[in-house]
Amino acid sequence: MPGTAMDRAASATPPGIARRVRGLSDRAIAWLFVAPTIFLLLAINIFPLIWTIRLSFTNYRANRPNADVEWVGLRNYERILSDPEIWQTMQATAHFLFWTLFFQVLIGFALAWLINAKFRGSNFWTTVIVLPMMLSPAVVGNFWTFLYQPQIGLFNYVVAFVSGADPTGFSMIGDVPLAPWAIVIVDTWMWTPFVMLICLAGLRSIPDSIYEAAECDRASKWRQFWTITVPMVLPFLMLAVLFRGIENFKMFDLVVQLTGGGPGSTTELTSINLKREAFEKWRTGYASAYAVILFVTVFGLASIYVKALNKVKER
Amino acid sequence: MRRFFHGLIRLRRGPWEMVASVLIAVGVIMLMQPFALWAYSWSFIVTLTGTVMFLITSHFPE
Amino acid sequence: MSAASVTGPSARLKWIAGVLVAVYALITLMPLLWIMATGFKTSSDAIAYPPKVLFEPSLEGYVNLFTTQTRQVSGEVSAPGTWYERIVHDKGMMITGPSRYGERFLNSVIIGFGSTFLSVVLGTLAAYAFSRYRVPLKDDLMFFILSTRMMPPIAVAIPIFLMFRSLGLSDTHAGMILLYTAVNLSLAVWLLKGFIDEIPREYEEAALIDGYTRFQAFRKVVLPQAATGIASTAIFCLIFAWNEYAFAVLLTSGTAQTAPPFIPTIIGVGGRDWPAVAAGATIFLLPVMVFTILLRKHLLRGITFGAVRK
Repeated sequence: MPGTAMDRAASATPPGIARRVRGLSDRAIAWLFVAPTIFLLLAINIFPLIWTIRLSFTNYRANRPNADVEWVGLRNYERILSDPEIWQTMQATAHFLFWTLFFQVLIGFALAWLINAKFRGSNFWTTVIVLPMMLSPAVVGNFWTFLYQPQIGLFNYVVAFVSGADPTGFSMIGDVPLAPWAIVIVDTWMWTPFVMLICLAGLRSIPDSIYEAAECDRASKWRQFWTITVPMVLPFLMLAVLFRGIENFKMFDLVVQLTGGGPGSTTELTSINLKREAFEKWRTGYASAYAVILFVTVFGLASIYVKALNKVKER
Repeated sequence: MRRFFHGLIRLRRGPWEMVASVLIAVGVIMLMQPFALWAYSWSFIVTLTGTVMFLITSHFPE
Repeated sequence: MSAASVTGPSARLKWIAGVLVAVYALITLMPLLWIMATGFKTSSDAIAYPPKVLFEPSLEGYVNLFTTQTRQVSGEVSAPGTWYERIVHDKGMMITGPSRYGERFLNSVIIGFGSTFLSVVLGTLAAYAFSRYRVPLKDDLMFFILSTRMMPPIAVAIPIFLMFRSLGLSDTHAGMILLYTAVNLSLAVWLLKGFIDEIPREYEEAALIDGYTRFQAFRKVVLPQAATGIASTAIFCLIFAWNEYAFAVLLTSGTAQTAPPFIPTIIGVGGRDWPAVAAGATIFLLPVMVFTILLRKHLLRGITFGAVRK
């Protein structure tokens, strides 16, 4: 039999050396495997990022590629950070962020708590609840404008039916006071299941023995809820809030399809405003500085998120 | 509290990451609050400081 | 008090919880059911007041979705042949050709599957290396990979728009596949690393002792063990690419445009043709719903980048 001597020799050598003899070294394989990923990310993420930072110091306009590009230093940043209109869009984003997180945490946690009672059919209903989250926000958001139509829209009809108001008397996406709530409602509808799923994971990670011990100490259900359930779920909730916070800070597709930023600029969130500067007014340099500000903010939040993620992983 | 300051002086990761996280959070709140324009104007610098600090201090020993 | 009731809720409480959850689920399902129902309404039924729950189903929306039409000119009315020609004919219209929906849908399929394939292949390799070897700066690289996913698409789109323009990649399938691959890679690497971490190293060690090379051990031991994980990762990547809107609307306009930016632009003759929009949305959303049901065991893992396992 050919190769028996070699096999014997191979099985006698310690695995570390044997591996090196048989093929590429571990380090070479590791680099070979990681390199394509890193290369692609460098080409499509890091290189453009550096380009954006460079552009942010210029007055470049993408619709006039042949015009002279002037170096303007920090002037773009100064203008953005003292512009009350951009501050306004930040406040619109804050309103959106705060209320979506508020409702999603409230409803999401309540649902998770109910589902954790493990009634019959809970798996089926969980799957049903989760559906909206997985769908295309742009397509669904577009269809919600139909539900929001005065008179013919299902939403208006149901609200009018329940409250007795006139279904033609209000327009969720046309009225200035209502539009910010129209986007909050759709986002809450879409993303509550996300918070719910993570809370459910948190609730299921609490061992029964803790409750049993509390029961022995004659702690009331109410006390158990605040001293056991809430603190144990909190890291998970933190994770959900941070993730939704980052996602909604950069919210674009759903809202642009729902209201397009209108009426006026009441629902013009940061990303929509940025899109307008970059791809409608074509102030590329200015928009790049705007983009860098968003980058840094999201990057900062993302690092806190990863810290929270690792904390949950250790559980 | 004493351990926190002790950690800061000895350049430990935990407390420094905490400081950086707080800076980032403060920066984000300054960016989006509706009360004072000056806070909005300075928000970016605060967030940037926090983020850079986080990047550096996450390499400190535990 | 019996032992069972110490921690578990009572039967009555369970019943109340079940009813509340079911009610919420049904409310949440309403908009989706409404999309599907509207797709089968006639245009007058769709905008009726009060909104019609019971109606005579019609395929008008689907026919409008797939065809372009003009008003009949009295001189050249030809006899309607097929069933869909008859539907159009009865409204006083005639078909002039196919609409662009089919093309856009096909683009979504090509770009979705292309980018999913690439990101899963690259992601599996990288995840294996991160899981099994001591890669220098591993934590930093993993964080860097994740942070690329977090970036606001509009902000990234500015330089990518310029880059694609100078490379001739704007509005091409190749450009969109590359872009979606880059965005999906982070999810693929994070998820797959979790799945591969769970495969005991001993299996590979045993294979190595049996005379396999590292490559063979990877191919014949690790890959089959990670198959479920790879499949669910692939579905997550596919759903992301399928749903993506921001890059698609900014970087494509014709040849490579996917369905999400196209569906909202569907308009009929004289006002929006909601049944056609709903029909387009239904066809587009149904596959994702089916995949979601298939995925339900891995859902949590997918949406938290593998942080929460169960």
